[in-house]
Amino acid sequence: MLTLLARDLRLQFRRGELLASSFVMGVLMLLAFNFSLDLSPDNVAALAPGILWVAVLFSAGLAAGHGFVGERENGCMDAIVASPLDRGSVYLAKFIVNLLLLLLFEAMLLPVFGLFFELSVLSVLAPLALVLLLGSIGLAAVGTLFALVTVGGGGRDLALPILLLPLEVPLLIASVKITRVVMAGGGFPWGDGWVRLLLGFDLLFVVAGWLAFEYVATD
Amino acid sequence: MTTIPFLYKTESLLMRVLPLPVMLGMLASLCAVFWWVPTERVQGPVQRIFYFHVPSAWCCFLAFGLASVTSAAYLWKHHRDWDNAARAAVETGMLFATAVLITGPIWARPIWGVWWTWDSRLTTMLVLWLIFAAYLLLRAFSGERDGGSSGARFAAVLAIVGTLDIPLIVFSTRLWRTVHPAVLKTSEGGSGLSDPRMVTTLILCTLTFMIMFAWLWALGARSLRLDDQVALLEERGDRLAMATGSNTSTGEATV
Repeated sequence: MLTLLARDLRLQFRRGELLASSFVMGVLMLLAFNFSLDLSPDNVAALAPGILWVAVLFSAGLAAGHGFVGERENGCMDAIVASPLDRGSVYLAKFIVNLLLLLLFEAMLLPVFGLFFELSVLSVLAPLALVLLLGSIGLAAVGTLFALVTVGGGGRDLALPILLLPLEVPLLIASVKITRVVMAGGGFPWGDGWVRLLLGFDLLFVVAGWLAFEYVATD
Repeated sequence: MTTIPFLYKTESLLMRVLPLPVMLGMLASLCAVFWWVPTERVQGPVQRIFYFHVPSAWCCFLAFGLASVTSAAYLWKHHRDWDNAARAAVETGMLFATAVLITGPIWARPIWGVWWTWDSRLTTMLVLWLIFAAYLLLRAFSGERDGGSSGARFAAVLAIVGTLDIPLIVFSTRLWRTVHPAVLKTSEGGSGLSDPRMVTTLILCTLTFMIMFAWLWALGARSLRLDDQVALLEERGDRLAMATGSNTSTGEATV
């Protein structure tokens, strides 16, 4: 599993185009929101958490499928599935890679986000990073589970975001709510129902993905 | 592939027995809703849509529940019949879910003054609708090129994960906001349905919708089964044509 993890990481960072395209996509979404919502200093505090998360959600959704594209092209997936490795471990390795990529993407997007909307991201960095981490775990878990859908090709690349977004609704609501509290300088709301919801979502989907991968990856 | 006798017999039985009860039940329900049941005092005639709205919602939950159970059975046994059962359940469930989403706003407009509001139950219903719309899209996209089996597995996982997600969606949207009336249990502990005829009508409509669901599900599962058989026969015909094709020379003999 560690070998697979190292290999995937090396592959992703050597190419780096996935990260770059997600980043550009994220920045474009910030730009689009800026124009479409006509942001000004008096409404930005209320809207910014939502903007951040929608940008993350859509960029992640679009990128989710591409983690496996390379595997399809050279038939590598067959080899991985045929290897004696337990499929649950394959899932965990892919999940960790996706999570790291997502976190890196967020680390790149966050300064731009703060700059564009004149928000002091730095002063609330620690709790904000925690929300992003918890949200990203859920996103990576769902994304990795269904990313294999695109391996079949056809119109399935299109189906992936359509499939992911409704499932991620609870995550979106919870993350935005927590982010709003955090950005208002309230610190991380540990005992909040939203935090418990987010943790529950993460746990549910990591476990579900780990169990279900057994059945999905049998091509 | 052999069929699962239990599923096959259930389908056949439902298809044979249910058409008449569904028809009579529907007639009786319509009569009850439009003539027999008294008009609700506060809301007026528009409240009558409730007798179709609520049974539709219950049926769609039943359908999606059935879909996730049969999907789990499919992942476990890898038998195509379970997949067909799940797919038919989702297709039928979407019908009822759509009915809920259409009848809801018709009621909401005069009562709440808006067609739609982002209330917990409304949002949950919409998200549910979207999840299972994605299910059907996935089925449409994956097609039958690979025997449909990988598409079927993804769809099964989606149905199960989608169902697991429902409590979270309900919880999150409820924490968010709610204005939807809870008719059956009001906060005073009494029932919102003041007249016993209202309760009877609701029960009648619910039963009718349930058997209608069972009937539609059986028809859907059977038609998917027939699709499979047609595909199998076509394949066999192709092979036959290829085997004897050297002298017939045309592909006309494929069916």
